Amino acid sequence: MSDTTIEVDGLYKRFGHTLALDGVSFTVAAGTVTGFVGPNGAGKSTTMRIILGLDSADRGTALVGGRPYAGLTHPMRQVGSLLDAAALQPSRSGRNHLLWIARSQRLPASRVDEVAALVGLGGAARRKAGGYSLGMRQRLGIAAAMLGDPPVLIMDEPFNGMDPEGIIWMRAFLRELAAEGRAVLVSSHLLSELPGVADHVVVIGRGRVLADGPLPDLITGGESLEDVYLRLTASAVEYRSSAEPETGR
Amino acid sequence: MSAALAAEWTKLRTLGETWWLAAGVIAVALAASAAMLATTHISPGAPGGGSDPTKLALTGLDLAQAVVAVIAVVAVTEEYATGMIRVSLAAIPRREAVLGAKALTVAGLTVAAALPAVAGCLVVGRLLLPGAGIGPGHCYPLLSIAHGATLRAAVGAVMYLALIALLSLGVGAIVRDTATATGVVLALLYLPPLLALLIADPWRRHVEQIAPMTAGLAVEATRHLGSLPDAPWAGLGILGVWGVGALVAGGVVLRVRDA
Amino acid sequence: MTALLASRGRSGLRDATRAEWTKFRTVRGWRVALALAAGLLVLFSYLQAHGKHTGYCTTPSPTSCVGGHPYVPDGAGGGAVADAYELASRSLAGDGTITARITSFSGRIWAGPSNEAPSLAHTRPGLAAWSKAGLMVTSSTRQGAAYAAVMATGAHGVRFQYDYTHDAPGLAGAVSPVAARWLRLTRTGDTITGYDSSDGTTWHRIGSARLVGLPSTVRVGLFTTSPNTYGGQATRATAAFDHIALRPSGDGPSAGAAATWRATSTGIGPRDFYTALGRGGERRHGETILVTGSGDIALAVADAGPDTASDSLLFGLVVAMIVLIVVAAMFATSEYRRGLILTTLAATPRRGRVLAAKAVVIGACGFAVGAVASAVAVPFAEHVMRANGNYIYPAGPLTVMRVIAGCGLLVALSAVAVLGLGTILRRSPVAILAGVVVFILPAFTGPGVLGGPGGGGSAVRWLYTVTPAAGFSVLGLLPRSPLVSFPYTMGNGYYPLPPWAGLLVLCAYVGTALAAAMMVLRRRDA
Repeated sequence: MSDTTIEVDGLYKRFGHTLALDGVSFTVAAGTVTGFVGPNGAGKSTTMRIILGLDSADRGTALVGGRPYAGLTHPMRQVGSLLDAAALQPSRSGRNHLLWIARSQRLPASRVDEVAALVGLGGAARRKAGGYSLGMRQRLGIAAAMLGDPPVLIMDEPFNGMDPEGIIWMRAFLRELAAEGRAVLVSSHLLSELPGVADHVVVIGRGRVLADGPLPDLITGGESLEDVYLRLTASAVEYRSSAEPETGR
Repeated sequence: MSAALAAEWTKLRTLGETWWLAAGVIAVALAASAAMLATTHISPGAPGGGSDPTKLALTGLDLAQAVVAVIAVVAVTEEYATGMIRVSLAAIPRREAVLGAKALTVAGLTVAAALPAVAGCLVVGRLLLPGAGIGPGHCYPLLSIAHGATLRAAVGAVMYLALIALLSLGVGAIVRDTATATGVVLALLYLPPLLALLIADPWRRHVEQIAPMTAGLAVEATRHLGSLPDAPWAGLGILGVWGVGALVAGGVVLRVRDA
Repeated sequence: MTALLASRGRSGLRDATRAEWTKFRTVRGWRVALALAAGLLVLFSYLQAHGKHTGYCTTPSPTSCVGGHPYVPDGAGGGAVADAYELASRSLAGDGTITARITSFSGRIWAGPSNEAPSLAHTRPGLAAWSKAGLMVTSSTRQGAAYAAVMATGAHGVRFQYDYTHDAPGLAGAVSPVAARWLRLTRTGDTITGYDSSDGTTWHRIGSARLVGLPSTVRVGLFTTSPNTYGGQATRATAAFDHIALRPSGDGPSAGAAATWRATSTGIGPRDFYTALGRGGERRHGETILVTGSGDIALAVADAGPDTASDSLLFGLVVAMIVLIVVAAMFATSEYRRGLILTTLAATPRRGRVLAAKAVVIGACGFAVGAVASAVAVPFAEHVMRANGNYIYPAGPLTVMRVIAGCGLLVALSAVAVLGLGTILRRSPVAILAGVVVFILPAFTGPGVLGGPGGGGSAVRWLYTVTPAAGFSVLGLLPRSPLVSFPYTMGNGYYPLPPWAGLLVLCAYVGTALAAAMMVLRRRDA
């Protein structure tokens, strides 16, 4: 079993009356960028949180490199993650935010400056994180994910709030990570963000995997990307205002 | 564990608020003790030398403990408020280790602030007590750390504040919301003594025996030990049960509930 | 144009208030917190009332103790009074005049330890400031009866007093053999008039009283009483009366010292609440009658703490205040958590109006919680306390309503203050800390907590006069009387400020906090 995989098998998770995950299974292979797509509320974040041991599944397993996340000694050396870029103490500087994470993984402080430079945070790292733009916070979050030079990366909506220049940089960055042989799981609610980035796509809706395969295989018979997405998620949308205005009220 | 400790310590020390609040502990303790002693005047004819100079000098800690409680509550609840708890738990999946490291660092910081606060309060007492009618001129010894009971009170007071920090941290981990946790801790500290003043024995004594503040503060007493609700160290032990109990409960909640 | 702008301004505040109210009521936790605060106030009031028992012992042996409280009479003017005195009296049918001269007035003061029942065993000579001896017209010798009297006093000269609270000064100076005092009372219908004179020929009218419903036959006579000193020592006084003359206006005969005067000791039985220095009595020396008495004829004071309707509220009130303080802090600071303030200010760009609307909402919630809960708690706790044998100091419905409204305002104002602090600091814990320190810690030194007359030194007075804790004065409902020499201290249940003055002090602090918050909110970037 390679270190460089994510294996999700039969995850069930219920929040009160809502069934958030209804038997989700998929794998992320080394050297690929896997897109994790679905409408809002489909279960993407919940799946990622379970992989990272933040939420516990009612049933099923999620393994990283063949082991549950919580069993890893310095997990961020194994799995880098970015869930919510806003999740930081606003009065702490970006550099100090990275520093405490480095300390938790027994990484030298020099590594902090390396990743800050890697994501192009530069001089902003010494300013208070509360003043960062959304794009800067994303870069800080990615820097935190890269601190441990992990073979596996999990990113929830990394394109959120990025300017066009940032999106181009992000795509190249993700490709490069895969080229280095890492397994990368990237969630998005926009399929259109993925061509040119993802090799493989897992489409999820209402807690179920709707499609799982290489991106070119999903597009058949001259359908556009959006058509494919709408067809797959048609029965699984939580709220779509343009088509059915009265639902979700 | 040591990595968790290093991480938590980095978190704590890189926040400006931490140092302001730690300085606040010392400032509030000294100011409150000084204000208390400056307005106290025991007339020489008062019955039976009833005052406890050491306890009087340490009065400021009654107020300073609230600042300690805020430091400790905020250390955990702010992580929930910002969502950073998920980063913390992703970095260290062993949740007990996270809470344990937080407990050690916050308690350490508290001790570091409590040492000068307690020492300062004793100095304030040494300077102001004679003016309040509790000095060598009134059959009271000058306050001195060389006095065994005073030394015990001083050491106990430092430990008292550290245990208050643990209690607050535990409540913070259980409640998760900053405002609610602050309210709960302050109510837990200040309401039982007030209740005890308003109700009759034997309930009054029972409340004083088990409430965290009244039980724990028994360690500050140097005179009339027989009339205390708890013996000094036993009282501190009861506060210890509160502190460790809250921390364990917080650990269980942290472990069982989704982050 | 101005009117249009003004009406727009008012409706702007109304809209903002509506928005803030919607924000507030849609958070389930806050609704629960309000209900919790009200419930806890009632619960703790009950518990505090339930734990309060009054027993009464007729002898030092504990077996003779029963539940119940000493008898406190209701005075003619309403309210609890002390009515204990020695009287040598005759009945007077219809109108008439009584005249007498006091030639000496002296007494004894208990000098033994304060924890012993006072007796004549350890005394020193002296009078209390309000020791009284003189002439009295009273409807009966029952306690609390309507009366009017002219009297010499220990330190306040000659006075004309009636119905426990009314007072007018006559000749100044103490009575002595060289400065004897002539006193006279006349009855004409319902009107009693008091006179004094230093020589028995030149009379000076001090004042008169209309005692409505005075029976046609009344008791008229010579009385002496002597209250506790300011320090709480019981006293007993003796006055020598001569030139005694009771002359009915009609055809009845006059009566002098030689006539039969009936001796009555009123209000010094074992169940009477006023501690007297032994029973008094009368003696005759020829034309002189000596009357010795102990007690007081004045408003009752809360010595040894009789309970009031607001007594059991304190703890529950403090608990409710903590809950409201926490909610107010959250209400203010939650805006900054996830940038909600940006939406708020987009909806209501006038920032002062946002704060005002928030203050209105949290203030109204606080008032509702405090007032509703205490409106339930006060009669409930009073009932429980009475059932436990406690004496409840009488309070009229208006006074009780004032306490209830005061509790509402106290909770409301403390919540608004913390809202201001939260807006300035943007950090809930510090705002809560400040709120708790200001409102909870003073409660440790409040009435019902401080025991004995030693409690309540200058620091406590200061605390309840100039700090926000002055707001607790709304709980005070014991009346004071200038005719009683008594330490009206916190320890005895008396707040240094009257209720509304205390509330005004609190308002000044709340206003300052709110004004500062307004300024900060306007100047600072959101």
